[in-house]
Amino acid sequence: MNETRKPVLTGGCQCGAVRYALYRTPANPHICHCRMCQKAVGGPFAAYAAIMERDFAWTRGEPASFESSTIVTRGFCRDCGTPLLFRFAGDRWLGFTLASLDDPEQVVPTQAVGLESRLSWFEGLHDLPHSRADEELTPERAAAMASHQHPDHDTDTWLLR
Amino acid sequence: MNERRKPVLTGGCQCGAVRYVLYAPPHNPHVCHCRMCQKAFGAAYAPLANSAAADFAWTRGTPGTWMSSPVGQRSFCATCGTPLAVSDTDGATITFSIGSLDDPSAVVPEKAFGTESKVAWADAVADLPGETTESDTPPERMALYRSRQHPDHDTDSWPPK
Repeated sequence: MNETRKPVLTGGCQCGAVRYALYRTPANPHICHCRMCQKAVGGPFAAYAAIMERDFAWTRGEPASFESSTIVTRGFCRDCGTPLLFRFAGDRWLGFTLASLDDPEQVVPTQAVGLESRLSWFEGLHDLPHSRADEELTPERAAAMASHQHPDHDTDTWLLR
Repeated sequence: MNERRKPVLTGGCQCGAVRYVLYAPPHNPHVCHCRMCQKAFGAAYAPLANSAAADFAWTRGTPGTWMSSPVGQRSFCATCGTPLAVSDTDGATITFSIGSLDDPSAVVPEKAFGTESKVAWADAVADLPGETTESDTPPERMALYRSRQHPDHDTDSWPPK
């Protein structure tokens, strides 16, 4: 790469085959409840922010893509499936998934769209009883669960599992 | 297929290449905030429920898989990326993504797990100002929009000829 700018944010997929960098603070952080986004992320909503194409780069690998409609392409890791990208056809802006950032606390959603498909149980989620992973797992199971996930920072080399 | 049981729930990926069925009501519906699930779903948290493997079947296609740890296999659509399931290497239980159900409102999460990694903004998204897809999309863009997403029910063949 000949890129000399310093990344503002970095991120990537679960297995580490695809990594990306942002060279500017993203715009329009939001969540989308629409049924298309629900399916694309397998969840109640997707969280995205927008970045101009010129301020974004794939730094390792590139995502596979699926045209979910005539006007939208979605990108995901072909090796592990992590949803990464949303893009309107011909648009210079692209949307990336906030939780694929190495630090997903860095970009906070400020708007919600796609309210027509908002799930009835969505608002109750923050009142659920909860537990941490270390409270739930037996010690034997926790010991067996060595993560294959790429660490939450760039790596010079990475062994794909 | 020789299956004669009646489906209780059906679901699948965004593009329709992978479809699945449950022959018994799922148990332990929950959301998982752990960093592994965040990455696998590209989302703030993953909504999941468990099915005995004997009560779950892939009815169209086979998902792509990736071992996110020595004991956990993640399943996703290799064509469109939708996160579909995580399963144990012992094969007894399949934990599927609620958002990939044809009716994701049918299974309501009752517990939150992995809260050691919960993103600070996870609860606040319920209070965000919001818009519908139609009010948020320019009419000229809406006019071009044709969904390629599989419909939210089983189909004899897909995509349409």
